[in-house]
Amino acid sequence: MSINRVPISSGLLLLIFLFQEAFVNRINFFLGGFALYLAFAIAWILREERSSAVLIGFLAGLIADLSPTLEAPFGLWTFTMTGLAFLIVTYVRGSLDSNLSPLTLSVVTTIFSTFAIALFVIFGAILGQDVPSFSVIARELIGNALWSFVLAPLYIPLAIRSHKLSLSARER
Amino acid sequence: MATRGTNRARLLLVSLLVTSLLLITLDLRGVSVVSSIRGFTQSALAPFQSFGSTLISPIGQFFSDLFNLNNTRERIDELEKENQELKAQVIFNKDIEGELKQLKGVLDLAGKARFKTVSARVISKGGTATISESIVIDQGSSAGIRRDMTVIAASGLVGVVKSTTANASVVMLMSDPSFRVGVRVAGSQFMGVLSGEGQNIFSLQMLSAAADLSVGDVLLSRGSSGDAPFVPGVPVGKIVFVENATGQLTKEARVESFVDLNSIGVVSVVLDSRGSNPGDALVPAAPRPAPTITVFVTPSPNE
Repeated sequence: MSINRVPISSGLLLLIFLFQEAFVNRINFFLGGFALYLAFAIAWILREERSSAVLIGFLAGLIADLSPTLEAPFGLWTFTMTGLAFLIVTYVRGSLDSNLSPLTLSVVTTIFSTFAIALFVIFGAILGQDVPSFSVIARELIGNALWSFVLAPLYIPLAIRSHKLSLSARER
Repeated sequence: MATRGTNRARLLLVSLLVTSLLLITLDLRGVSVVSSIRGFTQSALAPFQSFGSTLISPIGQFFSDLFNLNNTRERIDELEKENQELKAQVIFNKDIEGELKQLKGVLDLAGKARFKTVSARVISKGGTATISESIVIDQGSSAGIRRDMTVIAASGLVGVVKSTTANASVVMLMSDPSFRVGVRVAGSQFMGVLSGEGQNIFSLQMLSAAADLSVGDVLLSRGSSGDAPFVPGVPVGKIVFVENATGQLTKEARVESFVDLNSIGVVSVVLDSRGSNPGDALVPAAPRPAPTITVFVTPSPNE
């Protein structure tokens, strides 16, 4: 990943983060909520090669850590997303068809955006954060999975275009 | 070549993980630069959140209503009767009216207790990714709001101010798992601690095993030293279930909050309680039963 891609990737991720914080968070979704930003970042990571995916994961986590309503220590999302990005491109992306079908992309994105939240809660608990009851976490995870899958046709094309936009002419 | 690429990725992974661990360590050690980043973000986000709040407010319930069509069928039928041209205006007015009703309620409550308050609109909520129960309001330190101030709504306690910027504040809701408030039972004055559990039901642990609790008992905030974080006498909730397990050292109960934390639009932050303790004066009035009209008809023998 060329260093030139960092500003444009960060900018695009920041825009989605802003949309999440200003608009998506205000919507009362049935069953928990929807982490558009996470789903978008995972869909983007799935299209990257290994080193770039880790760096995009790091940037995405760093931006997620900016959320003012976050109770967890700054850096926890960065840690979670960096590790998860490496896990996805190394152990999941490699075992899938090189041309991901939209359905596969939706399913994998749904699973890993939900898994990201679960990992975040676990790491938070390890660091001594207060953890909500199991039923609350389960509701949030199920709700997020539901909406990540249902709304995939909206955000996945956006993630694909954002990824293409961030590539240099030579990389395209 | 592939091995070199893998090694490079692993090296990058390790260095980025170490960086994130460093950030976590700095934050946990209270380094001000790291801690103030979120305050700066809140200042930058506040105008967008205000705009988003205005835009989303009338349609915010859309997705939850979608899954509750049966429950809202009557409401939909009622709306269908209305003139199509006025529909958008009606929805907008309704939103404003709801906020005004909440504002009137909260000002009534604050006035009754003689609290000095500042009212604010809710402009954002904590998202799924944050796993925390919090809201963002559109008033901050420039309106006199400081950390650890009590936040109330029309029916009672909402939470406590967690952080502030010039024009916005983050409020930890009482449903947050880390939220604890000292309460007393209105009337009997038995004391206990109420804990958030991530939803509108809370757990109550009494300080005394001899506490006499019953369903319907009203809980009020006990107040803190210097009125921070809690002013006394604010209605918190009512007991809906008393756990009567034998062998317990203290009594425990389940409590329902007076405020529906999922639908708050306007809140007030208590700037100063003016040293007043309203006692039990803020206990919400019990609903009065509607009178049943009975009509006796005596048939006359001719009919």
